[in-house]
Amino acid sequence: MSYLIENRNTDYLLMGNEAIARGALEGGVHVVSGYPGTPSSEILESLSEVATERNLYVEWSINEKVALEVASAASFAGLRSMCVMKQNGVNVASDFLLHLASSGTRGGMILVACDDPGALSSVNEGESRPFARLVEIPLLEPGDFQEAKDLTKWAFELSEEIRNLVMIRSVTRMSHASGNVRYGELPHTHAKADYRFDGPLTDPETGPVISMIVGVSELQHGPQQEKIRKAAAIFEECPFNTYEGPEKPDLLIITSSACTLYSKEAIRLLDMKETVGILKLATTWPLPPRLIKKHLCSAEKILVVEEVLPILEENIKVLAAEMVHETGPVIFYGKNSGHIPSVGELNTDIVISALSAIFDIRHEVVSESFAKKAVALLEHKAPVRGLTMCPGCPHRASLWSIHNVLEMDGREGFVCGDIGCYVAGLWPGGFNTIKTLHSMGSGSGVASGFGKLKQFGMDQPVVAVCGDSTFFHAAMPALANAIHNNSPFTMIILDNRGTAMTGFQPHPGIPVNAGGETVPSLEIADICGAMGAKVEIRNPFDLEETQKTLHHLIEYEEGTKVLILRQACALSPERKDKPEYKMVVDEEICIGENCGCNRICTRIFGCPGLLWDREKGVSKINDIMCAGCGVCADICPAGAIKKKEVV
Amino acid sequence: MAEDLLKDPYNIIITGVGGQGNVMSSRILGNMLVGRGYYVTIGETFGASQRGGSVMSHIRVSEKSIWSPQIPEYGADVIIAIEPVEAIRVLARYGNPNVKILCNSHPVYPASVIRGEIDYPSPETIESSVRDLAPDALFTDATEIAVGLGNPILAGIVLLGAICRTGIFSLDRNDLHKAITQRLEQEQVKLNMAAFDAGFRLPGD
Amino acid sequence: MNIFGPNELLKNVTDRNLCTGCGACVDLCPYFKSYKGKTAMLFSCTIPRGRCFAYCPRLEVDLDYLSEDSFGKPYGTDPLGFYRSIVISRAGGKFTGNTFQAGGTASALLYFALENGYIDGAVLTGRDGILPTPRIVTHPEDVLSCALSKYTAAPTLSAVNRALSEGLKKIGVVSTPCQTLSTALMRTNPLEENEFTDPFGLVVGIFCTWALDFRVFEPFMASRVDINTITKTDIPPPPAEVMEIHTNGGEALSIPLDEIRALVPDACLYCMDMTAEFSDISVGVLEDDPGGNTLIIRTERGEMIVDEAVKKGYLVVDDMPERNLMHLKDAAGSKKRQALKKAYEAGMVNTSEDTISYLRLHTETLEKIISRE
Repeated sequence: MSYLIENRNTDYLLMGNEAIARGALEGGVHVVSGYPGTPSSEILESLSEVATERNLYVEWSINEKVALEVASAASFAGLRSMCVMKQNGVNVASDFLLHLASSGTRGGMILVACDDPGALSSVNEGESRPFARLVEIPLLEPGDFQEAKDLTKWAFELSEEIRNLVMIRSVTRMSHASGNVRYGELPHTHAKADYRFDGPLTDPETGPVISMIVGVSELQHGPQQEKIRKAAAIFEECPFNTYEGPEKPDLLIITSSACTLYSKEAIRLLDMKETVGILKLATTWPLPPRLIKKHLCSAEKILVVEEVLPILEENIKVLAAEMVHETGPVIFYGKNSGHIPSVGELNTDIVISALSAIFDIRHEVVSESFAKKAVALLEHKAPVRGLTMCPGCPHRASLWSIHNVLEMDGREGFVCGDIGCYVAGLWPGGFNTIKTLHSMGSGSGVASGFGKLKQFGMDQPVVAVCGDSTFFHAAMPALANAIHNNSPFTMIILDNRGTAMTGFQPHPGIPVNAGGETVPSLEIADICGAMGAKVEIRNPFDLEETQKTLHHLIEYEEGTKVLILRQACALSPERKDKPEYKMVVDEEICIGENCGCNRICTRIFGCPGLLWDREKGVSKINDIMCAGCGVCADICPAGAIKKKEVV
Repeated sequence: MAEDLLKDPYNIIITGVGGQGNVMSSRILGNMLVGRGYYVTIGETFGASQRGGSVMSHIRVSEKSIWSPQIPEYGADVIIAIEPVEAIRVLARYGNPNVKILCNSHPVYPASVIRGEIDYPSPETIESSVRDLAPDALFTDATEIAVGLGNPILAGIVLLGAICRTGIFSLDRNDLHKAITQRLEQEQVKLNMAAFDAGFRLPGD
Repeated sequence: MNIFGPNELLKNVTDRNLCTGCGACVDLCPYFKSYKGKTAMLFSCTIPRGRCFAYCPRLEVDLDYLSEDSFGKPYGTDPLGFYRSIVISRAGGKFTGNTFQAGGTASALLYFALENGYIDGAVLTGRDGILPTPRIVTHPEDVLSCALSKYTAAPTLSAVNRALSEGLKKIGVVSTPCQTLSTALMRTNPLEENEFTDPFGLVVGIFCTWALDFRVFEPFMASRVDINTITKTDIPPPPAEVMEIHTNGGEALSIPLDEIRALVPDACLYCMDMTAEFSDISVGVLEDDPGGNTLIIRTERGEMIVDEAVKKGYLVVDDMPERNLMHLKDAAGSKKRQALKKAYEAGMVNTSEDTISYLRLHTETLEKIISRE
């Protein structure tokens, strides 16, 4: 039995994401959807493991917009549902999100957004919090792991109370961190889907569920705003908003999310428990005005600790401005004062710096000489580890071929990049091939645009790369657009048979679903062909054939082309720990650094399965890392790298 | 029952390179400690860093509550390094003169070293650099032991065994067994126990 | 001769548009590759001294050094370079029924040399559609499939590099003047390798005034004819002023040479060698005789092979009329003077010792050539 559905009376060590999953189970969830995105993926994964036992429907949807739509259907039918995604996913879902917030929901529904301050696993640190205020739904943020569970369960009740979805926002340091959680009861739920739609258009409970009757905003928008006011009233008494500290603190910290833990620790290390209080808000939109007022009255100095944008800070300042005649003036510290950085994630040390600055004190943990020694050693003795593709990664072979073809073609062709492990194409490890990078599927749209600039003198071959999951998520419309508008770019689909970067989840191109069952799959080549593209499929490990095909496509083929480079990811169940070849370097033949090679395998190709032996001046296979794909044998100019089939 | 902590919270870091079983080892240690009644907070960096990047797990052990998933600077009490250069990296930010460090001597070369852009420091340099910052340091080739048992990813568990031998929280193999027996297949349980025992048997303090 | 590496090659040749696509730097290593006539560098290479630089005919070419090495005397002022004799030639009786360009001398001699063991392989230029493609040939019959002239630059020397790395020891090659110059550089063992031997058994140079960029020529042709139907391209000897395109469909297409000349790459204007002065023998068209060749015999080795070929019926030779010789000297001399002057004025000749020069030769000789009218 999965520990997620156990019921022992003991503490469990759970990841924040697992705690949210358990909270959803305790809250009686039945339908869970999402799209893989770090740091959110484990929520859905852990629920899919218990789907049968707990009568859940769990779906990895094609993208976050559809995922939200799928979850909303369950809610319209009276079931409790949850949709999970990373911060960027909310952007993708936002159009539907806005309309859903307008139409309202029935069964309790939660949108879980996991943000990535510091962009540890993203190409931006954009925030999801503003969406709550923008689309006018409540926003909740758990401050630790127990709360991640309890708040999620409570959120379903809140959602049904106000008849609208509720957003829970987590961050990497909550979702991927772990801590003690004590379980509650798992309910026996009666799950009967019942979508009622025969009532009048104006009745959101029995009539059709619609965003708005055109031109009559009072009918929907008014009630929607009423729901927010109702939430604010509920939040005044919410047990998850807690205060810890003296009645009249010298400084009040107002914080939420993981920043709660940083603030708590900073106070402990500076020994300020008697003078600094922490107001931890779990309900960060709408802010409960009476609660805020009470605390604004108790302190003259306030430090707001939050990550990335000053959203909480500015929302509190609005209230403070409105209530100043009741609370007296307050001095605010935070991002706008420069005490808390506006970029990157926070930690205890940053909060300590802020407090030290405010109170004009010095906090030293180690001697200055130790600190200096540490910095010097780090600079000189600890080589940096850059991002690199795994040994045996098919993208390495694909990017190698793409790079070489564009160089030989000589017309300054370039690649529009996309989101996935092949992002390594930005760096030397991916041969510096990628020249634009934005959001999911955007590479193809941008390439479609570049392809139409010929009338303005742009004659360069344009290529876009995207993964198989990304193709389904967002690139299909861009491809259709290009074909329809005659944009002659080449879309290269790096099909490694799964959503690899986030942990190898399935997608519509894979005949397996979140629960591991066999399901129909969509064939990418057929879809592209049906759209009208010229389609070729090749194995990227066959460098010669791949390059020959790509040369032909970018030189001779009219219209929009699709080259599918299909080879399973090195970490996929298909290939992990199943090397195709045993590799070995014949040191007698190896040219090494001399003219004729200049160790292209380790210096340029850079697979972690290869090592450079400086003393001997030859390359070697790193047996622990080598995945046995055999590609390095094909790039060795001397034929010194040998591959032998493993039986 | 929780035993009195020398320091509350007590801070342990397990560090290595993506793919070395860092996360697995930290979860197992965390579960062992929760099993003994402590509050445990684990903070990890993974995701993009899985692809060959540095990985750190911060483990806070407390009798009182959950703390920040990241240890404040210079705040580590024990460091377990599955990769030697990562030991230096972690020590530089989280070390202090009193930290205890247990270090695997088997290197994993970064892409930049493989490409010949920079040098990987010699074992002697690494050892002297580590001892310079942390006099209380122990080195062992845990990967060799792990490979001997069948999988290099067991190196982290070998080191766990070694650190438990120092008497930290009085953890022993029974705590390990309790922590993993329900979560892993029987074969895996046996392997992990063997790795732990091998580490526990290592000489030194 | 100063020898540097690929970065200097890029800076002094590629970036200055002096590359003729000869292929000398191609297929020595994974970095320089040729595609459709253009030489590209795939990745950076950090080697300070490399064969690519040493073999490039546009870098540190010390004409006196090469001339001493090949002919035992410094570089002179003769427009045709050093030679022992000049004759008219054409393929002999052994080749009746074959299609050649002009007299077929180059093909006949390579065939002969391969059949009789003077060379163990021949590097020629075949074609793939209208794209000239270097070929390594080890059977004499295969020589004939590469018989026709090409007017766009081919990286023939890349096949020399490949042939040598595949183990061939005595190569025959048909090379343009810039390529021939490179073979002369190769023969001097510039990187002082141990156990070095002359990799060539016979270097047959061909006359050349320019070679077009395939990437410019292909669209130019495609707009006038279906390029898949082209069987032969020919520029008949003076006084004809056309390029003839023969197709398997119908009539030959005649394009005024002026239109073709407008496509000549800049790099060719810096070439002072019309007759491949550093070959064993050089072969070209014969004025007023579309079925014959001009044959310049330069080295002892070349002379010996020609004599044997004639004796055994592979080649037929005759005296060269004075008038033809004078016109040839005029044409060659004019190209030499113009190119050398252009290079000199661009500061690419005899630069100071610590810099990289395109050409080096005795100042007196340089001045004589430039000032001659």
